[in-house]
Amino acid sequence: MKSMANWVRGLGLFALATVLCGAVYTAAVTLVAQVAFPYQANGSFVEGTDGNRYSMLVGQTYRDDTHMWGRVQNYNAETFTGEDGSTLLWTGPSNISPASDEFARAVADRVEEVRAAHPEQGDAPVPSDLVTCSGSGFDPHISPAAAEYQVERLARTTGKSQDEIRAIIGQCTQRPQFGVLGDAAVNVLAVNLMLDGVL
Amino acid sequence: MIDEIAEYALYVAFLIACAIPFSAYINKVMAGEKHLLSRVTGPVERAACRLLGVDSGEQMGWKKYLAVALIFSVVSFAGLMAILMLQGVLPFNPQGFEGLSWDLAFNTAASFVSNTNWQSYAGESTLSYFSQAIGLTVQNFVTPAVGIAVLFALFRGLVVQESEGLGSFWADVMRAVLGILLPLSLVLAIVDVAQGSPQNLSAYETTQLVEPVGVTEDGEIVAQDDPEAVEVVDEMAVPMGPQASQVAIKQLGTNGGGYNGVNSASAFENPTPLTNLLQCVSLLFIPVALVFSFGRFVGDRRQGRAVFSAMFVIFLAALFAVAFFEMAGTPQLAQDGAVYMGQDGQSGGNMEGKETRFGVTDSALWAAFTTAASNGSVNSMHDSFTPMGGMVPMLLMQLGEIIFGGIGCGLYSMIGFVILTVFIAGLMVGRTPEYLGKKIGPKEMRMAVVLAICTPVVILVGAAAMCLDPATFASLNNAGPHGFSEVLYAATSAGGNNGSAFAGMNCNTPFLNTVLGLEMLANRFIPMAAALCLAGSLAARRRVAASAGTLSTSNAMFVFLLILIVVLIAALSMFPALALGPVAEQLQMVL
Repeated sequence: MKSMANWVRGLGLFALATVLCGAVYTAAVTLVAQVAFPYQANGSFVEGTDGNRYSMLVGQTYRDDTHMWGRVQNYNAETFTGEDGSTLLWTGPSNISPASDEFARAVADRVEEVRAAHPEQGDAPVPSDLVTCSGSGFDPHISPAAAEYQVERLARTTGKSQDEIRAIIGQCTQRPQFGVLGDAAVNVLAVNLMLDGVL
Repeated sequence: MIDEIAEYALYVAFLIACAIPFSAYINKVMAGEKHLLSRVTGPVERAACRLLGVDSGEQMGWKKYLAVALIFSVVSFAGLMAILMLQGVLPFNPQGFEGLSWDLAFNTAASFVSNTNWQSYAGESTLSYFSQAIGLTVQNFVTPAVGIAVLFALFRGLVVQESEGLGSFWADVMRAVLGILLPLSLVLAIVDVAQGSPQNLSAYETTQLVEPVGVTEDGEIVAQDDPEAVEVVDEMAVPMGPQASQVAIKQLGTNGGGYNGVNSASAFENPTPLTNLLQCVSLLFIPVALVFSFGRFVGDRRQGRAVFSAMFVIFLAALFAVAFFEMAGTPQLAQDGAVYMGQDGQSGGNMEGKETRFGVTDSALWAAFTTAASNGSVNSMHDSFTPMGGMVPMLLMQLGEIIFGGIGCGLYSMIGFVILTVFIAGLMVGRTPEYLGKKIGPKEMRMAVVLAICTPVVILVGAAAMCLDPATFASLNNAGPHGFSEVLYAATSAGGNNGSAFAGMNCNTPFLNTVLGLEMLANRFIPMAAALCLAGSLAARRRVAASAGTLSTSNAMFVFLLILIVVLIAALSMFPALALGPVAEQLQMVL
């Protein structure tokens, strides 16, 4: 019967861990989060002047010539549906080998598309994050180089001056934290909402 | 380049500066002594002991210690599998996800009970909040605690003389959870939320699309005014739930199983470079601290430093190798200069599968950290690494997850390599092999060999099994040698209890779920049994005084030999497989 006692202890410890590390821990973090950081804890949503809600951490596909373009995305319409049965988009990474012919063809097509939309840039090399898919598939940012590449085109299509465009980009740029951590990154959604005048 | 080196130096210095003092704290916690938090954890521990009828001072022999560790793991496995299969009728399921199939539930339970956190599924579209927070998070806490417990049993075996006593498994697990894992996780989770991680119990939200799109009858995405479009979609899903709390412990417990399918690449799991630093350091923090704990425990801190040095040299070499190859990128991306890959105003290098806010620098760093520790969380897609850049993480796992490795298991497997080195070095110079004053006999050698070759054997058997089934081919996302790399990476990740993936491969089939699940269980419990058997056998021995004939196990020569043995065993067992995957792809790329 001695070994039975250890089975009971095993079950008991599993139950205790479930209560403490599962329920109590999760509840405690949720409580602190909701009280102290309600904006972040609920998805970093802002409401635009158009009445719509946008999560600032979710990148989207922008191909309109009045919008800043971001990372390449793989939208799919199969993963999620809304409560009313309407389709919701979701996205993911490509997981393609960057040494493959398939990748070479995809990048060549993207370079062509980007260059066609940016005649001002002529044959200047296209910044790499404009023609690659991100790790999450919904990277909200692009690099300052990729943003700068689009400034002249945006000035032409939106009627704003290049300085105005650069000022908007500057406001939406997250600098390396403490000067050393990470790379500078421009939040493309924030730029586009400001260009559209809804933020 | 200077910026990258400065950032790497910052990460590594921060890690070591925190780990060294923490190692003393760990030893106090595990000895049940007074420590910083014992006013809080002490009463909880005593109440739990009373409730379960546990005598925290019990000295278990190795067989009993192993038996109760297995009993606890079996209970955990059954409990988790039940939760996953029944999630459809359990609460906190606002998206109405159904219960998992038997094979996916088996694979996931095996994965989380073995501290692997391999995921054949994407969390945000498969699991309810109950499964995530009550099912998986609990295992994320207890499996590293079991690792620490077994490691301390081995420490005690090295130190005690002519005794059976390896301590009480139950008390060890409770102390590790209460004193080490819970407090660290609480802090990390709150910082993650402050930086942008969601933490709530609401149903999924939607975000408005700035540019709506059309969807055709076949579900293809087209322009919204395309004549083929049958529906215009103007919203995107935004997964909610208790993300930060699970992310914190998945990093700290060398677990690695993301709340979301894309893991810490998601801006929700890892919103800023600061969270990246903290999560990245967290994933090696306890494994590194445990190496220093080892030196303190055996009363000779040079022993800990020697093991640390061997691990650290291999780790640094791997880190710079990944960074170098990812920074170089591929000709397929460079397009003869049409794509700018320099570093002016951008990260540069191979950005496919990487996030802008981290760039190549922090992504390569994370890849090295996560595969050195058997964590397996990712902040970029390893499947889209350059051939050589993707081989290094694979190799770090194939070394046996001993470059710091999983919490507890990394170091106890490394001690197997240390004993092997002592034996080989002893043979070379004609000295009796002994380690820390304990003679190394045939039984110790057998266990050391099991610890050293278990991982390569499990990996190769798993990879072979997967390759024998033609259906595996249909699961691949890439053709040619990269396709084989995907199979090898999956077998390696499961067989090394890591959990990261070349994620393009779809492993959610009954056959692959089963093979990978068995790999994970084998590599968790075979080395654990070997470590405890080794501990029992060492505990029974008397300590002999060091003499002029004793081989030093803390000098530079020994560190060099240890590195040599580790690299040699991995190279000999893995080179043929690696030659067919990443090496072949690299040659194809440059020729």
